[in-house]
Parts: sequence; C-alpha cells; structure tokens
Amino acid sequence: MNNGKIPLLQVVNLKKHFVSGSRLSGKQVLTAVDGISFEIYRGETFGLVGESGCGKTTAGRTICRLYNPTDGQLIFDNIDITNMSEKELKPIRRRMQMIFQDPYASLNTRMTITDIIAEGIDTHKLLTGIERENRIYELLEVVGLKREHASRYPHEFSGGQRQRIGIARSLAVNPDLIICDEPISALDVSIQAQIVNMLEDLQKEFGLTYLFIAHDLSMVRHISDRIGVMYLGKLVEVSDCDELYTNPLHPYTQSLLSSIPIPNPRENSKKKRIILEGDITSPINPKPGCRFAPRCRYAQDICRQVTPELRELGEGHTVACHLVEEIKKGFNHESD
Amino acid sequence: MRKEDFEFVDSSLKQDKEQIRTSLTYWKDAWRRLKQNRLALVGLIAIILITLIAIFGPLFTAHTYREQDNDKINTTPALDIYQIDDGLFVYVSRQYRLFIVSEDGVLGDLLVNTETNVNLRYKTYEYNGEEITLDYSYKFSDDPEYKDIDFTFTYKDVETFEKHKTVLNKTYPFGTDQLGRDVMTRVFYGARISLTVALVATLVNLFIGVAYGAISGLEGGKVDNTMMRIVDIINSIPLLLYVILLMVMIDNRGLWTIIITLGSVYWVGMARLVRGQVLSLKNQEFVLAARMLGVSKGKTITKHLIPNALGPIIVSMTMMIPTAVFTESFLSFIGLGISAPTASWGTLANDALGGLELFPYQLFFPSLAIAITMLAFNFLGDGLRTALDPRLRKG
Ligand SMILES: Nc1ncnc2c1ncn2[C@@H]1O[C@H](COP(=O)(O)OP(=O)(O)O)[C@@H](O)[C@H]1O
Ligand code: SF4
Ligand SMILES: [Mg+2]
Repeated sequence: MNNGKIPLLQVVNLKKHFVSGSRLSGKQVLTAVDGISFEIYRGETFGLVGESGCGKTTAGRTICRLYNPTDGQLIFDNIDITNMSEKELKPIRRRMQMIFQDPYASLNTRMTITDIIAEGIDTHKLLTGIERENRIYELLEVVGLKREHASRYPHEFSGGQRQRIGIARSLAVNPDLIICDEPISALDVSIQAQIVNMLEDLQKEFGLTYLFIAHDLSMVRHISDRIGVMYLGKLVEVSDCDELYTNPLHPYTQSLLSSIPIPNPRENSKKKRIILEGDITSPINPKPGCRFAPRCRYAQDICRQVTPELRELGEGHTVACHLVEEIKKGFNHESD
Repeated sequence: MRKEDFEFVDSSLKQDKEQIRTSLTYWKDAWRRLKQNRLALVGLIAIILITLIAIFGPLFTAHTYREQDNDKINTTPALDIYQIDDGLFVYVSRQYRLFIVSEDGVLGDLLVNTETNVNLRYKTYEYNGEEITLDYSYKFSDDPEYKDIDFTFTYKDVETFEKHKTVLNKTYPFGTDQLGRDVMTRVFYGARISLTVALVATLVNLFIGVAYGAISGLEGGKVDNTMMRIVDIINSIPLLLYVILLMVMIDNRGLWTIIITLGSVYWVGMARLVRGQVLSLKNQEFVLAARMLGVSKGKTITKHLIPNALGPIIVSMTMMIPTAVFTESFLSFIGLGISAPTASWGTLANDALGGLELFPYQLFFPSLAIAITMLAFNFLGDGLRTALDPRLRKG
C-alpha cells in the first residue's frame, strides 16, 4: 500500500529518555521511547497501540517536538524537524496538531470557546475581524456544536463537547497531520463512537492524516489503515490493519487481540484467551533482551540476551521477535 | 469487531446527549465559599471601610492633617469638664491649659494664664475680666480626705471641687497632638499614605515576583536553576536589615523611596510561589496545546499560566499587604520612613512617643489602625486561601 508514496511523517529510530536523580544518588534513565521507526503516509491513519505507560503519549509528544528527542530523526514532509528551534518550528506547528486525552485538562477554563478555538488563528495571524468570527462559527458547526456556544466557557460543556472544542481548535490552523492522543479514552462509551466517526468524516473532508493513539486494539481497528503495537518504549509489530487482526505475529499482539471481546460468541469460543502473566517491566535502566520476555510464554534464553529488531515478514508487516516463525507454526496449530 | 459496528450513530445526531455538568465557575465558587467564612467577611468589610476612610475621610473632617492650632495642643479625646458657673464649663488639659468648653464637649477658647505659682501649686486665668484660680495641689496631696479631688476652681469666689462629667471631645474626636493637629484627620490621612505605600509596594512585588517566577518556571533547566539560586541568595539576607540599610543610604525619604525600597525586596516569596504554580501547570494539556499552536512564551504566561495561578497569587498578595503596612510603619516609627509633614501611621506612632506617658491616645489611635488593618487583611487572606484552594473545591 505504500509503494511509490511519499510519507508525510518519517520517524527514524526515535528515542526519548527521561533522566532523573543526580550523579550522587545515581542516575536513573527512564527509556519511555526507545528507538521506534515508522512512516505515516498522506491521508492515512496510523494507529499506535499499547498498554498504559508503554510510552505512547511520550512518543506522540516527541514526534511533534513538545519534547526534545534524545536520539533519532523526525522528518515531516521532507523537512528534518529533529533539531529545529521553537522559532523554526512555528510554521511546522501550524501543519501538525494534537488532540489530547483529557478533555477536562486540555481546555483553559479561563478562556471563552471563541478564544480557545481562535488561539491558533490569532497566533499565526490567519484571519481577523468578521472573517475570524465566521471561521469560528464554521469550525463549531464542523465539529457538531452551535454558534451560541462561542461565548461560553469550558465548564459549561460535557466531556464529549469539550473534546469537540479541542478538535475545532486543532482544525482552526488547517493542519496536515493530527496526532490524536487517546482522544476517546476519557469519554463515556456512548460518546466514543460519535467522536471516532466525526474524526473519520473530518479526515475525508479535509484530507487529514492521523496518528491515532489508543491503549486498546478495539478502538483503533475501526479508524486505522496501519497499526503499530508498542511495548515498553519499543514497537513490536507494525502492519496493515486487516493483516494485523487476521494474522498477528508477535506474542504481545496476540495476547492483546485475544482480550478483545468478539461480537459473535460462537466465534469467541473458538479462540483461546491469552492471559498475560507477570508485571509490566520497569522502563528504568532496562537490560538488553526482549522487553516482553518476562511475560512471554514462548520466551527462550536468546530472548533474554539479544534485543529483537523489527524484521519484515510479509509485505508491510514487520515484527520484533526472535521466534516468530516457530510461534507462527505453533499458533496456527493451536487454533486448528 | 468490524467497521460497521461503529456506524450506529447517524451523523445528524452528532450532538451528544451527555448531561452537561452544572459546575460553577472558579470565581463564583470561591465567592460562595468566602461568604461562608464569617471572619473573612469581617476582614473584607473592614478593608472596604478602611479604604473608604482613607479616600474620603480626610475630606470630611473639619481639619487638615497639617493644620496646627497652637492653642489647642494635646487635648484628649475625652474631656473632664467642670461647671464653674451657671452654664460655664471649663476643661483643663494635662499641661494645665484651661479651655472654655460647651457642656457637650465643643472646645472653646484657651484662657490666658495670668499667674503661675509653682510652690503653692495654683494658676490663675482670666475670663471676661474675672479671674479663675486653678488649684492643683490636691493632686499631689497624700491626705486620704482629698484623694478623690484632682482640682478645684475658684471663680467669682465660688469654689468648685467636683467634676461635672466626662464628655467626648467634639472638636477633636481623637484629640490633638503636641502641635495642635487633629489626630483623627492625621490617622485618616495616615491611612492614605500607609495603604498607598503598602498597595503600591505590593503591586511592585507582585509584578516582579510573577514575572520572575513565571519565566523561571517556564524556561526550566539552567535558566531556572540560576534564577532560583539568585532567589536563594536574596532570601538568605535578612530583608529588614537590607531595607534599613537602603533607607539609611537614601537621603531623600519620600513616599516613592519607601515604595520602591519595599517593592524591590519582598518579591522573593511571590517568585517562588509563581514558579511552583507554573511548574505544575506547564505540562498540563491546555498549555501543551498552546505550544502546539505556536503561542509565544510571553502569551503563554499571560493568557494561560497566570490566569490559572491567580488564586494562590491573590492569596499571597493579600498576605503581603499587611506585611508591607507593618514594615512601612516600622520604618517610619524608627525614623527611616516618610518624613514630616507627610504622615503615615508609623510616623504618627513615632510622633506620639515623646508624650507617651501623658498622652497615650496619640499612640493608641495609629496603633489601633495598624492592628485593625493587619488583622483584616490576614482574616481575608486566610479566608481566600481556603476559598481558592483547589483541594478544598470538591463540594
Ligand atoms: N515528563 C516525564 N518525566 C519523566 N517520566 C515520564 C514523563 N512522561 C512520561 N514519563 C514516563 O514514561 C513512561 C511512558 O509514559 P507515557 O508516554 O505517558 O505512556 P502512555 O501514554 O503509553 O500511557 C511512563 O513510565 C511514565 O512514567
Ligand atoms: S523475542 Fe522471545 S520473549 Fe520476545 S516476544 Fe519473541 S518469543 Fe517472546
Ligand atoms: Mg498516554
């Protein structure tokens, strides 16, 4: 699916480490993101999935340079933005926006909806006066809110409505790429589908590209074209959406998929549920080896000694596991 | 789970039907809490009254703060009056100046002292060609028979022993000082000066502290480290000592000198507070959203950080005002503050020191004013602290 297309965003071996402690008390390095690489093509949605705490938010924020990368390269539309200063970034920022997880923390409660949505317009001096006002009404309607809402304050809105306001704010600057950091996780289940559908409609309408972060594979399947599965700061599997769901290769992906309830109960009974044992390992001062090893039921000695790299095992399907081939046989065998 | 499973909502139904949370705005909620705190309300009302008195008080008194009446020096707020003839009342000051006074306490003329006999302890005065003799020897007599008698007056050969009554001084409700100036007007006027100094100095502190703290917190890293070490150094100097040294060095001690001195020193606490607030706010999603939109650091500070840290800033400011009132009074009291004839509460207290034993009221009124003001601001500050504390804002 990527043949010949130019990626809008290239993430190359991106690392983000948080260093804490002093030289005296002993430095602690938290490898929140530890060398992830993927591309996002224009108009597609790349889903980034992983358990809470695996570094998705950090990855998203490092990609849009809210955090400075520890290592690696970020190329946005053929421009290397890895080491750009805040000033150089300003025009890039207009093209790369973010939708946040917590609708209660992502809006400044001391500003009116107009001022919140117009902040980008004003900062980049896109429109003024009546045009600005009309644009805000237009944006409110685009995200399913009303003109009358413009002069209100965030506290008068529900979580879902606040998320819509956040979306309108990011749309205001006509971005190309929107990083959606778990935009529906904090919302009521009944609202989640509405927001996802709206994001899809907006994508079609404005030709947007999404990096869609979620902690649950069921949330991203609907919207994603391709999916990357993250475990403790590393990508363990990247694949086309359908391929990933039908043919998961990494043991972690398999366990994630097995925990999704299936609408058809008969189908469900066929599938074995894989329950992960053991605790998620700490991302502080990690040892070499596969990070999933302590919880992996296939783990061998090699897993604990050598860090597995992403390998391509089929078109656009990459996996970081030493034993994929063996497991594949076993897995198919099991499900027979 | 397939794509179709999500399509159960028609896009015309995009408006969600979630219950809108009926939450009060921050300030309404804070006001509701403040109103429940009686002490804070008392403080607030007292502050409003003091402010009104400071602004309008000097306009409505019959005297000005610098107007001297050389006759009526050191008259007390309460007058012991003696009726020496039908409808003729006199008041004798503690310095044996004799005044004609009306029955309800309006001070009349000072009578001319014609003779003083220190040995026999009497004085004579002239009134309408007649002589009034004031015998104050009883005051010094050890005889228990006379212990209730302070003075006797002899007028037209009639001797008066007994005090008629004690009335409030209608002409000078708080009395007069050693130069015959109205203490009440001076206290009201002193409120103007003291509050102006405190308020402006606090605003200067606020401005420096907020800007310094916000920049330090937002920049983080090395900048933050350096800026905070400077704060630590300033904080390790006893500030009062520093202020005293500064005031001693400055010759021209006017209103502005003291404002700038106080204003330039006490911002350290505010800077720390604002930095802490900024540190906790700067990684919140709405601030990150602003960064994503390319909003400049200055705008981020003024539009996002400060408005959201306003609660603690206001509390701290409310607590800073009484400190400034006190420091200004203290400096003026030790003679390093505002110079005459401008009067602050501290200067008034200082002026009163000389005659403290005879005229304690001259110290009492300015001290009372200082005490009430400090208490009022502290009550209000405490109330605001609880009203604006986000941890207590659950109910
Ligand atoms: N600013 C930070 N400083 C230090 N550690 C952080 C910071 N942000 C996140 N982390 C740590 O990085 C890891 C990944 O966090 P995060 O990216 O928020 O995960 P996710 O979004 O997948 O839940 C966590 O262990 C978290 O504690
Ligand atoms: S490398 Fe080993 S431990 Fe890691 S997922 Fe594969 S089999 Fe499991
Ligand atoms: Mg997250």
